[in-house]
Amino acid sequence: MELLIKNGLVYDPINGVNEEKMDIAVKDGKIVEKVNERRAKKIDASGMIVMPGGIDIHSHIAGGKVNSGRLLRPEDHFKDFERKTAVTRSGVGYSIPSTFTTGYRYARMGWTTVMDPAMPPLEAKHTHEELSDTPIIDKASYPLLGDWWFVLEYLRDGKIEECARHVAWMIKATKGYAIKLVNPGGLEAWGFGRNVKNIDDPVPYFGITPREIIRGLCRVNKLLNLPHTIHVHTNNLGKPGNYVTALETMKCVEDLAEDGKPVIHITHCQFSAFKGDDWRTFESGAEEIANYVNAHSHVTMDMGQVIFTDTTTMTADGPFQYILYTLSGNKWVNHDVETETSAGIVPFHYRRRSYVHATQWSIGLELALLIKDPWKILMTTDHPNGGPFIAYPRIVAWLMSRKAREATLKKINSKARSRSLLPTIDRELSFYEIAIVTRAGQAKALGLKNKGHLGIGADADIAIYKFNSETMDPSKKYKAVRRAFKRAAYTIKSGQVVVKDGEVLKHVDGATMWLDVKTSEEAKITEEMKRRFKDYWTVEFENYPVSEDYLAISQPTTVKADV
Amino acid sequence: MMLVNLYPLKEFKLPVVAECINPDIFQGKKPKEIEGLEVWEGNKQKRLGELFKVEVAKEESVSEAAVITIHGDVSHVKRIGVGMKGGEIVVKGDAGMHLGEEMSGGKITVYGNVLGWAGSMMKGGTIEIHGNAGDYLGAPYRGSTEGMKGGKIIVHGNVGNEVGAHMKKGLIKIYGNAGQFVGFRMHGGTIYVQKDCGGRGGACMTDGTIVVGGFLESVLPTFTIEGLRKRVKIEEGEVVEAPFYLFLGDLTENGRGRLFVAKEPNPHLGYYEKFL
Amino acid sequence: MPVVKAVTCPVCGSLCDDIELTVENGRIVKVKNGCAMCEAKFLGYCGEHRVLKPMIRKNGGLVKTTLKEAVRRAAEILAEANYPVLYGWSSTSCEAISVGIELAEEVGGVIDNTSVVCHGPSILSIQNVGIPSCTLGQIRHRADLIVYWGSNPWSAHPRHIERYTAFAEGRFEKSAWRSYVNKVKALVGRKKLQSAIKRLFVKKPAPVPPPISEYKPYPFITKEGRKLIVIDVRRTKSAEIADYFVQVEPNKDYELLQAFRMLIRDQELEVDRVAGVPVEYLEEVADVMVSCDFGALFFGLGLTMSSGKLRNIDAALSLVRDLNMRTKFIIMPMRGHFNVTGANIVFTWQTGYPYAVDFSLGYPRYNPGETSVVDVLLRKESDAAIIVASDPVSSFPRKAAEHLVKNPLIVIDPHMNVTAQMADVLIPSAFVGIEASGTAYRMDHVPIPLKKVVNPPKGIHPDEEILRRILKEVRRIKKKEEAA
Repeated sequence: MELLIKNGLVYDPINGVNEEKMDIAVKDGKIVEKVNERRAKKIDASGMIVMPGGIDIHSHIAGGKVNSGRLLRPEDHFKDFERKTAVTRSGVGYSIPSTFTTGYRYARMGWTTVMDPAMPPLEAKHTHEELSDTPIIDKASYPLLGDWWFVLEYLRDGKIEECARHVAWMIKATKGYAIKLVNPGGLEAWGFGRNVKNIDDPVPYFGITPREIIRGLCRVNKLLNLPHTIHVHTNNLGKPGNYVTALETMKCVEDLAEDGKPVIHITHCQFSAFKGDDWRTFESGAEEIANYVNAHSHVTMDMGQVIFTDTTTMTADGPFQYILYTLSGNKWVNHDVETETSAGIVPFHYRRRSYVHATQWSIGLELALLIKDPWKILMTTDHPNGGPFIAYPRIVAWLMSRKAREATLKKINSKARSRSLLPTIDRELSFYEIAIVTRAGQAKALGLKNKGHLGIGADADIAIYKFNSETMDPSKKYKAVRRAFKRAAYTIKSGQVVVKDGEVLKHVDGATMWLDVKTSEEAKITEEMKRRFKDYWTVEFENYPVSEDYLAISQPTTVKADV
Repeated sequence: MMLVNLYPLKEFKLPVVAECINPDIFQGKKPKEIEGLEVWEGNKQKRLGELFKVEVAKEESVSEAAVITIHGDVSHVKRIGVGMKGGEIVVKGDAGMHLGEEMSGGKITVYGNVLGWAGSMMKGGTIEIHGNAGDYLGAPYRGSTEGMKGGKIIVHGNVGNEVGAHMKKGLIKIYGNAGQFVGFRMHGGTIYVQKDCGGRGGACMTDGTIVVGGFLESVLPTFTIEGLRKRVKIEEGEVVEAPFYLFLGDLTENGRGRLFVAKEPNPHLGYYEKFL
Repeated sequence: MPVVKAVTCPVCGSLCDDIELTVENGRIVKVKNGCAMCEAKFLGYCGEHRVLKPMIRKNGGLVKTTLKEAVRRAAEILAEANYPVLYGWSSTSCEAISVGIELAEEVGGVIDNTSVVCHGPSILSIQNVGIPSCTLGQIRHRADLIVYWGSNPWSAHPRHIERYTAFAEGRFEKSAWRSYVNKVKALVGRKKLQSAIKRLFVKKPAPVPPPISEYKPYPFITKEGRKLIVIDVRRTKSAEIADYFVQVEPNKDYELLQAFRMLIRDQELEVDRVAGVPVEYLEEVADVMVSCDFGALFFGLGLTMSSGKLRNIDAALSLVRDLNMRTKFIIMPMRGHFNVTGANIVFTWQTGYPYAVDFSLGYPRYNPGETSVVDVLLRKESDAAIIVASDPVSSFPRKAAEHLVKNPLIVIDPHMNVTAQMADVLIPSAFVGIEASGTAYRMDHVPIPLKKVVNPPKGIHPDEEILRRILKEVRRIKKKEEAA
């Protein structure tokens, strides 16, 4: 099938295209030089913005934890539902939408690729079953490896190459995409209800510190030549004073960087940028973080922006979720996974009138605006932790318009307002920069070669928004920006028009991307795993790996490792 | 005033969902428009006029709220009067689930029985039931802790389990018997049960008042006796003159809820008097 | 003879996946590692009650027909229905359940799984309180205290204790098997001694169990390592091996749980006994709970189905949640059918709700008590039904079963069970986990693949395949109607 998008205002930062009126040609799911004008289906995009499809580097959309959140909260769903139509399945929202609804809602905003950031390896099949039931968007998932006993033991013993080979096995076995660390060491300690205090606090019974785990896996990541860096949820997340931990975490891998390339991704950084000794003296540490990031090139991060709404927090950080339960008194789910990781869920309402919540809202935007290079700070809400992803249009508006920020500032807690750095920040992102923080930068950080841009050969994942950036000023017309991003004029996925004017036209399957990491000595690893399996897990070795049948469309990338 | 009479055209067997039976929605509509309102019978969408004969009796001014009278058994008809803000509904027969859910004003009177979740998450107004009510009277939706926040429910018959769960404000009066877990996890408001009460009254309550006028099988071990009272006031103009034990709890939730249990029908609670 | 290893046992929620089967001429002849229930299933599944041909009711009797005709008739029934129910799902694969949900959505029906009659109430309380839990391996490695409440794993989940809890070998906790053996020896010795003394010196009729009011704590031997507490209304086989046994007065679990919640916070009780148990003994047990390093509470239907139902679970969940202020403690329901957890999980990711999902308005609605199948049947609201891998006629209340069989009834099941005998359309299916592959979820939410070990009889298909055909046929009928 051929498609021609005519006369749109194209933003394609990876190829340096900034608001150029040009045509985009699509054939067989890819962007091509040109198509047969007569035969191709034509879309008139004049007066509209054309961008690569949106990418989300960190959004909890599938797997055991997300589903326990769904089960926990019927009251979250019962007023936000979607009826079955001739082409779509029914479902429910709000903060933890059912799988079909998740796919449709992303597509309606023009997002076409989403990464689920926390897959317990033992329950990887569950994550993949849900991802396969999430239509339209392409997906991938990061296995949680920062507290896996194998990793802790090999790193403790200094066997970095052994560790790398086992991690490679695990990524392949779980059909994963990147190495995820959540509160490294802290989750193992949580197995007995404890936590680690800082990156040098040893993990009980394992004789290793979080610093050693972070550095170790960072080196493993490099040995394996993975496309993304290690993806780190820092220790002490969600605690006042934790910006120090975030800085230490970034510093501890500084020396591992080469050629100015990133080696670490600090995820949902807002939750790790708290200053103060306790909740009363709590304040923003965004400036300190931004200063560090502006002076260094080995870090990328994403925002974890807070939205004022009722949402459901869910992370693999069991001890953090327990603290959140004691603070809020809300219902609490905990789910520890043997030899690997943990998870927690607590419903949470971010209120404008709360000093802490309003400050958190400010921190996210401060980070995005104070970090000068948009390639380093990507837009997320850490869905659904800071708020559901359907709030992205509002964040785009805040980033692009001082006026939009002021409108919200007026309504928040007065102490938070008076301490917020936002009134002192004039910066407003351009559409070019928005295309970076929502697409190009995300693709680059993830090492996705065919996504996040509209060059020849790229996947034909395209979003078209009804906003004329030539004639309209997004800073003033921020509400129009919000409307445009809420309902894409067109979303094109793999060359097919799947959304028109915010309505889903087609239910198509998206692919699941994973890494086939090739190491030497694969067979030896398998024997070693088999030997220790019965000791470590309660399932049989051969029932553990995820077979490709679990993936609706399997899209492996072969990676050649150095070990 | 606008007077609307609804007559079921048949005996309903399938569940009917009729949120449109609501004075706010009927207000100012022509009979044809009312007949055209959307309802669901089983999995088929229908018009109200297909299930009910609609008769608009009086239609003098549009300013005053509407009064809807349903003549007949509508026990399979769910969600009557959901979210209503004013006006009146009278049901001459039995009514289905979720009657007056989330209503904030107006009045619903049922001359018959109602099924579960009547007055669920209610914010204001009055529901009066002359027959029995089902489980979860005035209780919230599954998973929610947002119970009744205001208004008044009066039941002349018996009620099921978990009356007024998670209640925050308002009044529930039951002149018959109540099931288990009256006022489960309640945080405020008053529940009065004139006759007998199943076990576990006031379980996990943190505040508010429960008054049991009849027999209560046992008081939870997580309540502590506070004293004896000569009378208990239910609301303005309604006082029960009889000796009552007053218990405080539920201690598992550090609660200070008040559980009044009539002394006379409950000699087995005499055990507690030694602590006074 | 070919031996198939790492087979998952499709019987109970423990989902042991280390079964070894010996297959000879397309038949399973030997089972290794399994419990008695597992052996019975693998060796005896192909019994005399197996249905081998689709059947349709004609003139009051079931007559054999073709699969095509049975599927067509089933699709007609469902497409015409105004409020059909789709029930079962706990003894089939997640893949089949997924098709079942699509079918329910297509025909605007109420879909429900067997948790409605087992741990459904537990789920309702989880939705109010949450649940601190973990996978079973976590317990194996760390737990030094196991509590079974209202559940008798020794008979219902025979390998649970050995694989995951008290007798399992973990990284931080060793198996309590040896001390159990010593204990049993000592007990047997003591019993022998006592009965000898009785025989010699006392001549009395056979002792009757003491009434509840004369409650005496069960004698126990303190031992190192893991401790086991059993709380139940009767002394079960599991209670025999326990370090502490609390015999709770029937239907008083709620009071006992709430009392424990106070005791673990060091609050005083004003009563001497709760649920028939002296408070001093409860204080001792509460101390054990508070002073462990990692405790695990498993509860069964004994707790879920006794008076108070869902609120018993509310209290149990609250107790364990509160215990986390003092130590690490987790709680888990003992799920019965091998894939009832999977049914809850697939329902939830596709519809947002774990069971009792009503699609009649074109989108998922959930309110057990209203949209749960038993209640729908008791109110006589449904007008057709399809039952997959379940036997509700023998497990539902009589009135509900009566309404179920009064209306057109489709049954997909390998067996001629009671419900199948009442069916209007009966389509035999393959045994999932023996003759068909798929996925199931263990009680701790760990997904485990089910294997196809042998071929099903000729012409017999898995549930998933049969449901797909019905769905396709329903869509064809609907399209034709729309065109007309």
